[in-house]
Amino acid sequence: MTDAATKIRETIQAHDVVLYMKGTKSMPQCGFSSRVAGVLNYMGVDFQDVNVLADADIRQGIKDFSDWPTIPQLYVKGEFVGGCDIITEMTLSGELDQLFEEKGVAYDKDAADKIREANA
Amino acid sequence: MPVTQEITDRLNEAFAPTLLEVIDDSESHRGHSGYMEGGESHFNITIRAPAFAGQSRVARHRAVHAALGPDLLGRIHALALDIGA
Repeated sequence: MTDAATKIRETIQAHDVVLYMKGTKSMPQCGFSSRVAGVLNYMGVDFQDVNVLADADIRQGIKDFSDWPTIPQLYVKGEFVGGCDIITEMTLSGELDQLFEEKGVAYDKDAADKIREANA
Repeated sequence: MPVTQEITDRLNEAFAPTLLEVIDDSESHRGHSGYMEGGESHFNITIRAPAFAGQSRVARHRAVHAALGPDLLGRIHALALDIGA
């Protein structure tokens, strides 16, 4: 296993929710990363952000690790959930709530409902 | 061949879709990272095909990524996918 893969495995095991993104959760540097970080922030989810722009090995490494060519990428309890399109769809359908409940991840249900109301 | 046409051809061949829209959305990203003069950097794809029935969201996306291939994916900066059966 490469160093990048080892590091990624450690990170997704150490944190319940990890977002590989461009920029940071407080200063995203790409619209797609910003959207996913914004949803998680708004839903009050405690997540670890990993800025792939700060580490070229991780930027390529996470694409290989997940077999997924784009950033952002969301991991919950060590499992790959998806990128921006999938997270958006799951937020609006309520599947993301369901996933967090199944995995025992704390989130603000009212905030999630508000996102759905605003996008209905 | 324009990238839009290349994407369209590969997806038609792989999935025989009942609906396929490939939109070059590059202009709306002008000035953002990844924008290239002349466009062909950001694409929105809507596809419906029976082949996706019963597949998870992740599996559907991976199937589209595989059909496009690493060379094509490597040339475009961003891809927004709306996939359904």
